[in-house]
Amino acid sequence: MLQYDFMQRAFCAGGLIAIIASVLGVYLMLRRQALMADMLSHVSLAGVAAGAYLNWNPTLSGFLTAVVGAVAVEYVRRSYKTYSEISVAIIMVGGLSTAVVLMSLNKSISKSFTSYLFGSVVAVDQTQLVLMAAVTVIGGLFFFLLRRPLYQMTFDEETARVSGLPVGLISMMFSVLTGMIVAAAMPVVGVLLVSSLIVLPASLAIRIASRFSAALLLAVGIGLTGVFAGLTASYELSLPPGGTIALVLLALLLIGVGLKKAIRFVRSKSSHVAAADTEMHTYGPIPRLSGDSHNH
Amino acid sequence: MLLASLKDVDFGYSDVPTLHNASLEVHSAEFVAVTGPNGASKTTLLKLMLGLLKPWKGKVQLARKRDDGSRLTVSYVPQQIAAFNGGFPSNVQEFVLSGVHSRGSWLRKVTEKDRAAAEKSLRQVGMWQLRSRRIGELSGGQKQRIIIARALTQRPDLLIMDEPTTGMDQESRAGFYELMRHMVEVHGMTIVMVTHGLDECRPYLDRIIELERKGEGGWKCCSTTLCNGHFVPAG
Repeated sequence: MLQYDFMQRAFCAGGLIAIIASVLGVYLMLRRQALMADMLSHVSLAGVAAGAYLNWNPTLSGFLTAVVGAVAVEYVRRSYKTYSEISVAIIMVGGLSTAVVLMSLNKSISKSFTSYLFGSVVAVDQTQLVLMAAVTVIGGLFFFLLRRPLYQMTFDEETARVSGLPVGLISMMFSVLTGMIVAAAMPVVGVLLVSSLIVLPASLAIRIASRFSAALLLAVGIGLTGVFAGLTASYELSLPPGGTIALVLLALLLIGVGLKKAIRFVRSKSSHVAAADTEMHTYGPIPRLSGDSHNH
Repeated sequence: MLLASLKDVDFGYSDVPTLHNASLEVHSAEFVAVTGPNGASKTTLLKLMLGLLKPWKGKVQLARKRDDGSRLTVSYVPQQIAAFNGGFPSNVQEFVLSGVHSRGSWLRKVTEKDRAAAEKSLRQVGMWQLRSRRIGELSGGQKQRIIIARALTQRPDLLIMDEPTTGMDQESRAGFYELMRHMVEVHGMTIVMVTHGLDECRPYLDRIIELERKGEGGWKCCSTTLCNGHFVPAG
């Protein structure tokens, strides 16, 4: 199947997006912004439709709209911390309804409407591939160079701000990057399933990993497995790629969670008593200093 | 040295101020408790002091530099942070070690010294044995302790804590107050903490700041009580 040009492109594109979207997903989930990807993809669709209507490059206009949308969301998030869910719903409806109306005005694009909604491997053209590579490099650099501030911020923004990190700036950069990644991921899995690439690998990785870097690597591994297996299956069985990839990822999540439960069950039967026993002996309250203050 | 000060500060969340004409000063190497009944804006007072909230009027100052000109480090242990982020994929040791990154470059390597600092903080709060546990598997009181350990690893000049002993058992609380006293006396750390357990910690404190109700319903800061002769108005 890799002798075909379009499949090569699809695998490249899918691989790039799997890597960066999975990493992004871990942060988004821990920052409680899992819905943000979904919302931005809907907003981005309006940009695609507007671009097609105005005879611009729809890929680029969709990309720009997602980035602008991400900046808007970041401002809304700052002013209405408690109402973030409502703002997500409102912006999502706004984006999707604009897209539907604009697309109905333009007959040529409404034919390829489903490929935007559900993704299509043939939809990946050269422009998009270049865009994805660029986004992956930028995202990779961002997540690598800022891994420590991001770790602190993801755990808690207020404590991070107090310890001197430029939380507002990094948070804004993170939002813009989210918009970029979402827009780049759209052609592969489609608007409606973008969040599958972002949320599903991360949600399994977060459950399994006990170190942060392990969670990131695991998410990338799961994402790549899901995308490659999904693309292969969609080629062999002539299924839509977006849906197939999402289903494979969903299956991986269920298997992973099931395995974890099974392992925990087996372990708890064999070692429950022993573990509780050792813990009682080695773990205690905050030690008093009165007796041994020379240690400090 | 004056580390933090509020001068005639007004602040509220709606159109009525909850904090009225609050003034206070925190000097270096003091152990200060902030106390008052529920709803007395104790947490608000801390957040104003840290610059997380902007006052309606009045002046808030937080020192940026130490006497020798180097950057002053501040650590904050919020109230019941333990309730959040239970699924955070990190173990205790990694989490506490992240405290060292608040100083120096974001990309510098983790040194043996950093690891030793993290180990010491973990031992000080009695959590070293649980260092390879996932954060999410800990109890509320244990989470509170590793967050305090992370703050200690940052070696802050000013440590601000909001009800740090919530969820701790009695023996841990006693150990905790002793540890804090030690930090103030030996390492010259300045500690401000909101607490309800004044009876227990009074012997360790330098000063108590009490929020009092004003006539019109707002809260006023602050009557300051000196404790135990600990108080040394450091320059």
